[in-house]
This record gives sequence, C-alpha cells and structure tokens, in this order.
Amino acid sequence: MKDILDRNQNMAEEVRSLLREKKVMMVNIISSPGAGKTTLLERTCEAMADKIRIGVIEGDVATDRDARRLQKYNIPIVCINTGGGCHLDSHSISKVLGHFDLDQTDLLFVENVGNLICPSQFDLGETFKLAVVSTAEGDDKPAKYPMLFTGARAIILNKTDLIPYTNFNTASFESDMASLNPGITIIKTSATGGEGIDRWIGWLTSQLESFSAG
Amino acid sequence: MHELKIAEELSAMVSHHAAEAGLRIVERVNISVGQFVQVVPDLLEAAFSIAAVESVASAARLEIEIIAAEMRCRRCGTEYRPDDDLHACTACGSTDIDVVHGKELFIKSIEGE
Repeated sequence: MKDILDRNQNMAEEVRSLLREKKVMMVNIISSPGAGKTTLLERTCEAMADKIRIGVIEGDVATDRDARRLQKYNIPIVCINTGGGCHLDSHSISKVLGHFDLDQTDLLFVENVGNLICPSQFDLGETFKLAVVSTAEGDDKPAKYPMLFTGARAIILNKTDLIPYTNFNTASFESDMASLNPGITIIKTSATGGEGIDRWIGWLTSQLESFSAG
Repeated sequence: MHELKIAEELSAMVSHHAAEAGLRIVERVNISVGQFVQVVPDLLEAAFSIAAVESVASAARLEIEIIAAEMRCRRCGTEYRPDDDLHACTACGSTDIDVVHGKELFIKSIEGE
C-alpha cells in the first residue's frame, strides 16, 4: 500500500524542517476567491511589518494583482502563477523559498489559490493552515468542506459588517465548527473596516511566540 | 480539479513500481480513496488516462474503491458512520472524536505482465 501523495508529503516535511531550522513560521491561508485573504494580509502588514519580518508567497491562477497590492509594505513577495492550476503543492513552495533570505524572515504567509477543496489536500510544509470564510458565502461552508475546516488551526470569519444584509446565521456557523473541529479558534473580522484586526494580530503574535519557543 | 495532480503522482508511482516488478504492461491499478478526500471518481479516471498516456499503464483500467467515513468517539468509544457532514458522536454527542476511515489515498495493487 503506497500513499499516492508521498512525494508531496516528503517535500512538505523537507520544507517544514528547513523552516523550523531557520525559525520561520509559515501560515498557509486558504479560502474561496474573494473571501478577503489579500485584504487581511494588507491589514496584517500595516499592524506588524515594522516589528516582524514578513514575507509573502502569492499563489494565483493568473496575474500579479494581489502581489502588487502588497508591494507598498516593502516586504519580500514572490508570486507563483499556477497557469490554471487550482492549488499550490510543496514542490512549488520549495522552488521559491530560495528567493527569500530565511535568516531575515520571521513569518511567511502563503496565500493559496482561492478554492476550498483542492488546496486542503496538499501539505505545503506550513506551521498551520488558516481558513478564511466571509459571511456572504453562507454559514454552511464548514459542513460542506470539512477537509479544510478540520485541518485548520484557526478560522477568520470575515466581512462581519455585511451580516445584516445576508442570511448568515452566526450561531449555526459556530455550532457546526464546534462539531467539526472543537479546538479551532474563530476570529471575527471586517478586514476592510479594520474591526477585529487587533484580535487577529493578538492571536497571531501568541502563535509566533509559542513557535519560536519551540 | 486536484484529480489531475493526484493522477500525475499516481501515474509516476505506477511506472516506478511496474519497473521494479519487471512488468511490461500494466492492465489494472487498484486504489482506495477516502470519502473526505473529495475526489470525483470519473474525473480521476479521465485524468489518469491522460497522465499515463505515454507510460506502461497507458491502457490500464483504474479501479477506485471509495472508503466511507468512520469515526470513533474518544469519550464513549462508539464507532459510527456520521449521519451527515457533521462529525459529532451519534451516541453521546461528543465532538472529541478520531477519524478512523475517510482520509485514505493509496495504491492497493497493480496488475499486469
């Protein structure tokens, strides 16, 4: 019996051990298209880029528009265009790590291709996965895409400012999440308006501290 | 469409194992796929036939066994199949559970000559 994704898993372990040695925490961000990954990264850079050395790997089917949005923060960014591919894999991450000075990096974000199914299947060697879901997508997403939501350490519930205009049921979302992944941290934000960003930064900082403490 | 990437990895593995076993032609590849892996069998079959086109498995038949999700409750020990996509224990309602089956993705056997 041979695991079909052995090669991806082996490379992911190589990436993980290199990043552990270099003391770089890598966060693999997964969401649908338009949930707010790039806006969340903008807010994160604004709050942290002067204290924490951040790098970003942007995975996109085409264009470098997301990468250009982050250029103003003066951080190293590498763009991977998958040319139609629906997810990143550990080999694509390993290939671009050489573009970063890992000795001068504390935190590396991977903005995966917008998709709830395929990216959750491929370990990139990340420290943890972060799921982002926006209220406009509906409260049933965790139940429909359990692979991602059971595998993530935290979930950003974004666009909470839109709840009055949708049929999003926060209680039902939270009870589904409690059933799927009781240990998960749920952080509610409106990344555009900045609401909840302080909670996200606080949580992320605590993760960085426990990561560097080993 | 992660089926294409899975098919490419599968094709490379089948070629490797066929060479090790001295097979000239692979006739059948048997794999197991857990329910949570979210693979569409028809898509995986089509993707495999494309990925394997220039290999010893170009005419191979791909047999996919889907393994249903199965959980074990850590609190009361009940083993159960979840009713729906939510995973809580059907006996005691606990969410402290282990996934026993449903995440598999492996080659069971390769047949050929």
